[in-house]
Amino acid sequence: MTASTGGTDHGDEGVLGRAQARDLSDVVAQRHIIVCTGSGGVGKTTTAATLALAAARQGRRTIVVTIDPARRLAQSMGLDRLDDTPQAVVGVDNLDAMMLDMKRTFDEVIDRHAADPARAERIKSNTFYQQVSSSLAGTQEYMAMEKLFDLHTTGRYDCIVVDTPPTRNALDFLDAPRRLTDFMDGRFLKMFLSPGLSAGRTVGKVAAFGTGLFMKAASRITGSSVLDDLAEFFQSMDGMYEGFKTRSQQVYKLLASGDAAFVVVASPEPGALREARFFVQRLAKDGMPLAGLVINRVTPPVGEDLAAALAEVAEEDRERLAAGSDEERAVAGLITLVEEQAAVHERQRGNVAAGLFGLDPRALVEVPLMATDVHDIDGLEAIGEHLVASAA
Amino acid sequence: MGAMTPDELLSRRLLLVTGKGGVGKSTLAASLALAGSRHGRRTCLVEVEGRQTFSSIFSTQPWDFTEREFRPGLFGLSIDPEASFTEYLSMFYGAQRVTRLVAKTPAIEFATQAAPGIKDVLLIGKVKEIERRREPDGRFTYDLIVVDAPPTGRIVNFLAAPDATTELVNVGPIRQQAQTVIDMLTDEARTAVLLTTLLEEMPVTETVESIASLRQLGVPLGPVLVNRAVQPAMDAAARKALTTMSADDVRTVLSSVAELTEADAEEALDIGTVHDSRLDLQRRMRERVADEIDLAAVELPFVATAGRAEDVVDIIAERLQEVLT
Repeated sequence: MTASTGGTDHGDEGVLGRAQARDLSDVVAQRHIIVCTGSGGVGKTTTAATLALAAARQGRRTIVVTIDPARRLAQSMGLDRLDDTPQAVVGVDNLDAMMLDMKRTFDEVIDRHAADPARAERIKSNTFYQQVSSSLAGTQEYMAMEKLFDLHTTGRYDCIVVDTPPTRNALDFLDAPRRLTDFMDGRFLKMFLSPGLSAGRTVGKVAAFGTGLFMKAASRITGSSVLDDLAEFFQSMDGMYEGFKTRSQQVYKLLASGDAAFVVVASPEPGALREARFFVQRLAKDGMPLAGLVINRVTPPVGEDLAAALAEVAEEDRERLAAGSDEERAVAGLITLVEEQAAVHERQRGNVAAGLFGLDPRALVEVPLMATDVHDIDGLEAIGEHLVASAA
Repeated sequence: MGAMTPDELLSRRLLLVTGKGGVGKSTLAASLALAGSRHGRRTCLVEVEGRQTFSSIFSTQPWDFTEREFRPGLFGLSIDPEASFTEYLSMFYGAQRVTRLVAKTPAIEFATQAAPGIKDVLLIGKVKEIERRREPDGRFTYDLIVVDAPPTGRIVNFLAAPDATTELVNVGPIRQQAQTVIDMLTDEARTAVLLTTLLEEMPVTETVESIASLRQLGVPLGPVLVNRAVQPAMDAAARKALTTMSADDVRTVLSSVAELTEADAEEALDIGTVHDSRLDLQRRMRERVADEIDLAAVELPFVATAGRAEDVVDIIAERLQEVLT
């Protein structure tokens, strides 16, 4: 039964039951790219590190790319700090780790796509670029994908595990490449690229009436220097859009291929499960390869025997114990703890069943709540026993 | 600067609740708002990330840009940047022209999606509008506004957006607007930012780091809200006794009231051990909070028994009400 995995029992029947019988062993053994995604605070980074460690243990040359590592996780991999160059993880063969530096990656992208170094410098020194390059919506996701593609093209790794940015909405991640190219194709951008703007004539020859009104409004509200900065920024980026577009299409294709796998991470709480649900559905809609759903920090069930035995303890006996000797009060406390754990487990089980209703997550792995924080290789190994149990 | 004490929480009209993802900041924001409304404050609970968290917790219709009274004296609002932008522009150009013309351009998409700085200014701008709004008799419309703000990873950018705007924009109404928002955010008589944490390593570390960067911004900080503090299941003497007890001891104590197998008793003891190390971790983290954070802390209990999210909010609100008086 489920006691061995510490997971929630959804029964042998049905889609979830079948998903629960699977884990991520085949993913770790075969896939070239593994993307971990989910809402903030659900243990994405730890899950990514665990999968990477498991792949490396199988002799695959592996790298884990993380966005927002817990400092102690970096330490646990023998690294004082992670930076944006791959570093070998001490004590583990075949495993590298790196952290994504958004600003630096964006700079590299500019260097790569700009027509010449002078133009690249002009872009990088633009006020608007400096202010927004790291926060422009979709850039974090886009840059994560850029880095992924870079690592893919080097051919140095058999397995690349990516931890996606902690966006408020995990769906942004898939939208990113398209949104960026849509934006760059858009009328709004073309308006900035029109020659009238560079001379500071903010209305200029812009054709669309609505847009003209907007520009007039915008310059009145913001003052025209902002628009000049913007115009210069977009104009100097002109000619780079094709490069961006081609690249993001390549990335999209790579992710949609059988070489990639998406792992959605959640906790057994309604909010995290709701986001996981949307993400699973979205992956299906885009034809992206979903490998499975990981639910972290699940409170383990209480054995049926123990629950049944304690259910027999009458109210007056509980009260007597609670007012008794040290040992009796300790046992009264134990009874409360066991029953609370059973209640929490039940509630989480209900959350998971409701949150995933009608969904096919392919594989469903529940990782029990650990007694201590996970912050070293041993901790990752312990989680690995759940994620890739069948490989052992 | 004297640290704000927990019973002063409701003396600020604007409370911005933030915290690391997964620590339960939305639950605490909802609980604070509920506690405030029960204290007789006309309260508005504000969502800024469009997640529909509160309509889900309170089982209401989806929330939108229109405030609705979903509990007595408690209003709810979900601010989205698009609606905020349209409302803002209509102040200058008249509602009809704006919706007819501007809404058809990609301008809204740009302002609200492509440049999050602008988006954040629009979101906080709407909060400021609510905060300043008055009834015909001159009283403020709301006595208390609780904002479920972005998580700690984004909170500094969020609150710094008006500053960034004044740096980029030198003149005009946007600059003025940004300045009045900055005035609100830095006014310690009106505003407090509340950080939510758990008694765990990473959330405490992130809280310590956030405090430093929020101080640099000059926003006033209220007490730290410590969520999901596990309550000891037994007193200290009993806890000590438990550490030396064997499975047989447990069976003996229970011999007259329940029949446990050796394995049952072992399982119960294991659960006790996990609880014990959990309490130890909490104690260490509580020390860290005391050493590294010079703000008052309010501990809120882990609610094991409540089935529904609203019940959890209800129980925490009751606890907060005790603190607030």
